[in-house]
Amino acid sequence: MQLLSRVRSALRNLLRKRQVEAQLDEELRAYAEMMTDERIAAGVPASEARRSVLVEIGGVEQVKQAVRDRRAGVRIELLWQDLRYGVRQLRRNPGFTVTVLATLALSIGANTAIFSIVNALMLRSLPYPHAERLGVIFTRIRGPITSDERHHVNGEQWELLRDEVPALLSAVSGARPTGVNLQAGPHVQYVFQGRVSQRYFDVLAVQPLLGRNFSEIEDRPHGPKTAVLSYGLWRSAFAANPNIVGQPVLLKGEPYTVIGVLPEGATTPLNADLYTALQPTRDGEGGGTNFELITRLRDGATWQEADAQINRVWLARSSRYELHDKPGAQVSYYTVPLQQGQIATLRPQVLALMLAAGLILLIACANLAGLTLVRVLRRTPEVATRLALGASHWQVQRQLWIENLLLALVGGAAGVGVGFVALRGLLLLLPQHFLPVTGVSLDARVLAFTLLISVLTSMLFGMLPALATRRFDLRSAIGTRMSTDSGHLALRQVLIAGEVALTVVLLTASGLLIRTLVHLETLPPGFNPAGVMTARASLDEARYHDAAAFRELLNESIAAMRRIPGVENAAVGLSLPYERALNEGGLVISDGKEAGQSAMAAAVYVTPDYFATLQIPLLDGRAFTDADRPNTQRVAIVNRAFAQKFFHGANPIGRHIDKDMVIVGIVESVEMAPGIDPTAPLTGEETLYFPAAQAESRMLPMIHVWFQPSWIVRTARPVEGLTAQMQHALASVDPDLPFSGFYSMGDVLAKTLAMQRIEVALLSTMAALALVLSAVGIFALVANIVAQKSREIGIRIALGSSIQQAMLHIGASGARAASLGLIAGLVLCTGALRAMRSVLYGIGVYDAPTVLAVVLVLASVTIVATILPTLRIAGIDPAQTLREE
Amino acid sequence: MGSKQTTLLQGTLDLLILKALGTGELHGLGISRRIEQMTRGTFVVKPGSLFPALHRMEEAGWLSGFWGESENNRRAKFYRLTKAGDAQLEHETEQWTRVATAMTQALKAT
Repeated sequence: MQLLSRVRSALRNLLRKRQVEAQLDEELRAYAEMMTDERIAAGVPASEARRSVLVEIGGVEQVKQAVRDRRAGVRIELLWQDLRYGVRQLRRNPGFTVTVLATLALSIGANTAIFSIVNALMLRSLPYPHAERLGVIFTRIRGPITSDERHHVNGEQWELLRDEVPALLSAVSGARPTGVNLQAGPHVQYVFQGRVSQRYFDVLAVQPLLGRNFSEIEDRPHGPKTAVLSYGLWRSAFAANPNIVGQPVLLKGEPYTVIGVLPEGATTPLNADLYTALQPTRDGEGGGTNFELITRLRDGATWQEADAQINRVWLARSSRYELHDKPGAQVSYYTVPLQQGQIATLRPQVLALMLAAGLILLIACANLAGLTLVRVLRRTPEVATRLALGASHWQVQRQLWIENLLLALVGGAAGVGVGFVALRGLLLLLPQHFLPVTGVSLDARVLAFTLLISVLTSMLFGMLPALATRRFDLRSAIGTRMSTDSGHLALRQVLIAGEVALTVVLLTASGLLIRTLVHLETLPPGFNPAGVMTARASLDEARYHDAAAFRELLNESIAAMRRIPGVENAAVGLSLPYERALNEGGLVISDGKEAGQSAMAAAVYVTPDYFATLQIPLLDGRAFTDADRPNTQRVAIVNRAFAQKFFHGANPIGRHIDKDMVIVGIVESVEMAPGIDPTAPLTGEETLYFPAAQAESRMLPMIHVWFQPSWIVRTARPVEGLTAQMQHALASVDPDLPFSGFYSMGDVLAKTLAMQRIEVALLSTMAALALVLSAVGIFALVANIVAQKSREIGIRIALGSSIQQAMLHIGASGARAASLGLIAGLVLCTGALRAMRSVLYGIGVYDAPTVLAVVLVLASVTIVATILPTLRIAGIDPAQTLREE
Repeated sequence: MGSKQTTLLQGTLDLLILKALGTGELHGLGISRRIEQMTRGTFVVKPGSLFPALHRMEEAGWLSGFWGESENNRRAKFYRLTKAGDAQLEHETEQWTRVATAMTQALKAT
């Protein structure tokens, strides 16, 4: 009651100030007049009465002030006055204010952008009910080779999990959404298909808007062909037809019955346009670990029970692939929360970025602390005057803090803007489906984080000046004109050295990543990527399950592409150089010294001109020809890496693999994304090529679920409208087969090195930002010394020192701080950068060219940042500076 | 000006103002005169203490102010007790009586 009344009064006092003041004035005037009336009535002469009343009241203005001081909301009003004073002070120093705000906006913006990603990946809860009960299973292997990561599972593991782990509701899916062709109306549309097992949507607790989820019947091998549509596809391709359930749609060239539609906004980890039943088995696809697993803890069960059950049933398996090449290893399984499991591979990168952003913030704080320190020292006369006029230390301090907070909040608001733009740019940089989340946005948590770091920043950079002025000696402050305390200069130099040291770390780290990327991009590719255009199409189509139809498609479409004017050569391959290829684990060498040894290699079907089109050099033997047909001798070509690893350099031509497949040639190894041994983003992996014409009907459906073959054409010079003509050529053979996309070899390389490119782009941006901040810091330091010491410089010049000497004398303090920082930074690098070893390829952590480049860049930036402000020394007139005193 | 003025104890001004308004609405000078009369001239409240107290008590919701005409036709701000003011008067009177009794007894004790 009292509080409410006071709040109402406070609002009135603040908002209707003029009216409140007028009423107070009138009230007091009436009081005085009534008192005067009394006295006149008592017989005192009018003028004497008026005088005596004013004396007794003791000053109307003092009474008013006494009322004002006790008014509700007076603190807010004082704060407001301090704020207005602060704004005036900041506007009086536009150089200082703009520097501080720009520094804050950039550093806070960088942090906001990176934190939004951390937030989206790690903090925001997954869009599923009771997401904390969702999990994935990690495999921990201890032994000669240790590993601890999310493994995919095979058909046997899936069946055991489904039937013998009652603590969990589990489901599996094909590892990635795959592109397929959907006939909707007259058009064939290329959509992303997620292949999921029964209960997949139940695990995620997604209830269909129409129809139902996949049941056990649809999920059986050779079960009915059914599909569940996402809300978006249902709206766009089927005009939100409410009677769609039960209708057939033509998918992959076959009718699939729609059994359900997902509700609006529903998503899955696959994030696909439509879903079909996975129909997992123990052989074929399920013979290898090709399924991705998600689990939900059933009500009443605990994760400990679930883990115990998993370990019991999986460790008793008949065939343990985990032990194939690691005999005697200790294997165990445990559950990890879904969110953590999904981002496990991105986590180190994201945290490293957050760390880099934090360093930027520290650098910014060091800069700002230096700047505000100078500003506070410059305001010594003002502060002294306020203290002398009776302001308390607390009031002076409060004024300084209010100005800092004001800067931090305005800078933070600008930082949100910068962060928003930076985040947009960052998301454009990322390939589609790169982040396992549907959206990254600046939500309330991000804004709260930004507010927090803004306030924290102002605390950090405001603390130092506040400490420096805490023991403020009034007498000496009024006595001297301006403080040029050398203790404070040393302090500022230490700040600069600190920020330079952090900058060196960021510069070196980004330098190492740039060198890595350059190394990867300039690796001899083993083929000629120039002048090649590729197009991809999904052959996961019922009509191409038959090998004869598949062969006919390849022959006719390649012939049609050769007829495009300007095309020199054309071919088809299951995968391209720079891409990840199909892994073939079941190859066994059949004869010679190595007979019986198994060879795990990449396997690629190709048409005869694949090597000629990509210009992959044939080292020995022959390439495939049109004479290699399904009914002739099975042939293979291996690459140099294959020959070296499995035949130890001996000539493999004429040797047999897989009983009746004879090696007829050796080609150069091309760089490709590794599928077997991922020690680097690009390697010349052991590869076995076989003729597309000899691909068997039984394997085609399976590999075409996973891989979309590429049509490759080589042109001597750029051909206008090449992609349209390629599409036309394919359509002339099969009008219902669209290309899903066209890629130059540069595009393919960029996609494979996406992670490296993103790392380089982000870390280089951060390092550049740090460099700019450090340059500003050094510049400000030297500029301030010039301003403070102009009298000393004047005296030096008057005493015969040359301008160059004076410049050197002043600039040395900036250069000293920077060199100190450089040395400290290099020392820091030796420890800190060892953590980067796993992301560096082709260079070491202590890379001389990188260190040299960092030293050179920093030295030149330091020189520019110290020379620019000292140029003002030339303009100092000794006579004038001496007269000023 | 009275010659025999006593310094007001902390908190007693509020009680005196509430008491003065207990019999009806008054303007500032009226309150001042009423206190003088009630305490037989022991306490003379000066405007420098009176007005801050009045405004504070009005903001606290114990008093409500309104503009009216004084006995000799001057426009003046009058105050009267609100319901909360009534309760406050009762509360503070009780408190004061307890303190005063205790103090008197303490000073009489030997």
